[in-house]
Amino acid sequence: MGLMQELQRINIKMYLEDPEALSAEEAFRVFNSWIPTTPDEVLIDVADYSHVPEGPVTLLVGHEANYSLDNDHAEPGLLYSRKRPAEGDLSARLSSALQAVIKACQRLESEPSLDGKVKFRGGDILLVANDRLNATNDEEGENALRAELEPVLAKLFAGASFAIERDTTSQLRLNLRVRCDTNANAATLLSNLAA
Amino acid sequence: MSTSTTWKERLAGKIPADMAEEIDAFETQIHLRKQGKMEEKLFAETRLRRGAYGQRYDNGQRFDGTQTQQLLFPEHETKGPDTFWHAPGMMRIKIPFGGLTAAQMEVLADLAEEYSEEILHITTRQDFQIHFIHIEDTPDLMRRLSAVGITTREACGNSVRNVTACPLSGVCRTETFDVTPYAQAIMSFLLGHPDCQDFGRKFKIAFSGCEHEACGLANMHDMGGVGMVKTVDGVEKRGFKLYVGGGLGAVPHQAQLFNEFVPVEELLPISQAIARVFARLGEKKNRNRARIKFLIAKLGIEEFRRLVHEERAILPEDPQWTAFLDDLTVTDEEQLKPGQPLNGAETSEGFAEWYRTNVYQQRQAGYVVATVALPLGDITSHQLRALADISRRFVKETTRTTVEQNMVLRWVSETDLPQLYDELLALGLAETGAGTIVDITACPGTDTCKLGIASSRGLATELRKQLGEQSAKLDEAIEGLRIKISGCFNSCGQHHAADIGFYGNSRKINGITVPHFQVVLGGQWKENAGSFGLATGAVPSKNIPEVVSRLAKRFVEEREKDELFKDFIGRLGKREIKAMLEDLTQVPSYEENSWYYRDWGDTRGFTMDDLGKGECAGEVVSIGIMEIAAAEREVFEASVALDENELQAAWQGALNAMLRAARTLVKEQFYDVPEEADVVVAEFRTRFYDTELFSPKFANYLFSAHQDPASEFEQTQVHRFIEEAQLFIEGAYTCYYKIAAPLEGAKA
Repeated sequence: MGLMQELQRINIKMYLEDPEALSAEEAFRVFNSWIPTTPDEVLIDVADYSHVPEGPVTLLVGHEANYSLDNDHAEPGLLYSRKRPAEGDLSARLSSALQAVIKACQRLESEPSLDGKVKFRGGDILLVANDRLNATNDEEGENALRAELEPVLAKLFAGASFAIERDTTSQLRLNLRVRCDTNANAATLLSNLAA
Repeated sequence: MSTSTTWKERLAGKIPADMAEEIDAFETQIHLRKQGKMEEKLFAETRLRRGAYGQRYDNGQRFDGTQTQQLLFPEHETKGPDTFWHAPGMMRIKIPFGGLTAAQMEVLADLAEEYSEEILHITTRQDFQIHFIHIEDTPDLMRRLSAVGITTREACGNSVRNVTACPLSGVCRTETFDVTPYAQAIMSFLLGHPDCQDFGRKFKIAFSGCEHEACGLANMHDMGGVGMVKTVDGVEKRGFKLYVGGGLGAVPHQAQLFNEFVPVEELLPISQAIARVFARLGEKKNRNRARIKFLIAKLGIEEFRRLVHEERAILPEDPQWTAFLDDLTVTDEEQLKPGQPLNGAETSEGFAEWYRTNVYQQRQAGYVVATVALPLGDITSHQLRALADISRRFVKETTRTTVEQNMVLRWVSETDLPQLYDELLALGLAETGAGTIVDITACPGTDTCKLGIASSRGLATELRKQLGEQSAKLDEAIEGLRIKISGCFNSCGQHHAADIGFYGNSRKINGITVPHFQVVLGGQWKENAGSFGLATGAVPSKNIPEVVSRLAKRFVEEREKDELFKDFIGRLGKREIKAMLEDLTQVPSYEENSWYYRDWGDTRGFTMDDLGKGECAGEVVSIGIMEIAAAEREVFEASVALDENELQAAWQGALNAMLRAARTLVKEQFYDVPEEADVVVAEFRTRFYDTELFSPKFANYLFSAHQDPASEFEQTQVHRFIEEAQLFIEGAYTCYYKIAAPLEGAKA
């Protein structure tokens, strides 16, 4: 439990409703436009990995965190990867990571050049504790993380019930797939988190 | 659940004591630098020697398509000159001779996930690179590698870099003997060796088992060994035909033969003596002349050889020199399964083509080497972990990386190939065309490299796509050609040794920079990189696919029976090639076709607003640019003269071209500069070299030739001199854009 509190590298992925909605080229162009227009984060560069299957198709490299159009397991979505330490306890850090990825999803959804075709599933979230030292992919690790995460999720989904599943493959990082039967959009989710 | 709070604690006792100590020391140096208690240049060299390299934009600036923006990193500490502390960097990881165990692959995959973004890159020297790493994460990364027997020590910096070897060593049908244990021995011996700590520049070593294959590319290394066997008094003895002073870089040098046969007992002491001579006499101040190739060129091979033997004679005896010979089986591999033939087993669609291009029959019956072709040398953490699993189930962890940025599985029982193919296919790792024209090598270029000028990876992706679409129709004559691309003239993509090579540069059209690639033809991959190509002309990046298409078509239609591509290029002649590609050098104006003004794989470009700012001046080409273009043409003419064996004319033409370009620059400040060469050179030195407006490296090419003109002309020297002249012209363009009136410099 004590070690889980050390967790700083938090990855959160939200999935595209239409897997074809955002191409690598479009993501590259949009991410590039974010670099000079995102004053509250240091964004550095965009890298194209569309030649590699089921990887980070288009990567927006940042100082505090990276964003990518991620295609792991052929399930495209927006992956937020926190790299630098964030403020607050683990619960606060989980909350701020969720906030960051939802904001980025919202930004993509409202990007004029994408004609409103990009939508994310509000009730389908993957959380990866990207730190094998402090968060092992076992039952104990799962319980420790769930204890911090569930109150945040309860807030996020405004009390709606949700299910959590873990891929127990030992070589994987501790991961929790969260599913909630909600149609909440990004604005609602952000509002819930802020409440 | 873990009970350790740090990786240092978790891995205590699992890391060799000396390595653990070194990594701890490096961690301390990181703290010292952060507190300002370690000078930044010293820290920079320290981290380089640990494999922690800088990356593009680490100076805190990035062009966003319209203007250069500051990247506002939180603090202003640096980890080297003009290198922000918090800027992401690259970690280079040495893999001697490319050999990897499954556990090592799994750790590499873990590191790419936790410290980077799940991508690993294989380099042209069998290393791995992971990008976008924070400097403060590097000690833990090193500890985790060290715990599985991998070091990043001396992966960069002025040191002995990764020791490479042919990935077929030990299973090759034509090798003299397996060079792997010798590569391993020299790597262990020279790693951190006191005699290798005071080089002016890096030192690269490679080993080959065959003289006539590409193999270890011995001819383009600082030191290259080719396995040889000699019968002495009726006893067969092993040794190496040893080459020294090879190298690519801006001006490639073919290695020179040091000794026809260095017995294996003498391999390590001779290497040590070479290192001592290099450390003692090699250039230290001017990095651009500090590789051993320059020392050997200066001394001459005879004198260099004499000095090395003199040094060898006084070396204190070291038991390590021969200790490894007691157990040459240390790198031997075991087979997991008996070798059995295919036996007509049912196979999936695509298997036959993959088998044709990606499978090599080992000399051991029933076994094959299967190549996992990796586009751009990239592999995801998930793929690498899955490959580790495959390497346990199909073979006994016998995998290696290759200098063509692929991986190979050795000792695969042929009967397992259909199943192996299916599993690789499911992982997206069954790309066909290994070692063919579609298997294009590219350095990182503008994607991540600080020195990249044009997008080598973007171009490689496009060529791979276009050639891949035609692969079924590709003539057998061109299928085996190699294409290699570097993002700049520094040759990390090994373009000089390719049939068709490219290196990135740029030209200005109406004041707007356009990405170009210099076309380099006539290199040879086989014979251990047997010959290097020459620049033929700069072509806009977007026209390069058409360059490949025309060259391939011409070769298919006009080659003589069994004619090699390099011989065909020689027969065709540069004048004819230039004429064939002439129309492709033209760039339409931005208004006509703005596509040319963006690089492959990059959406950044100039907006109409940008164009507006430069329009008033953009349609005028200055006399200065015209003059430099004329000088470039003179370099081309010099290369034609070289082809025609008019060596003196070629040499003089190249010198005249440099003088012309230099005078053009001087004229920008001293309009009435006389034409006398002495005056031009003196004025150029004062105005551009002393002021550092012009690349000192390239300026020295002119100074050396002017001060000490050649009196005897030899093919290799003139070839090299023409390369230098071409680079001088590149430097003149760059300098001119810097100094010229706003007319030319507005969109630099």
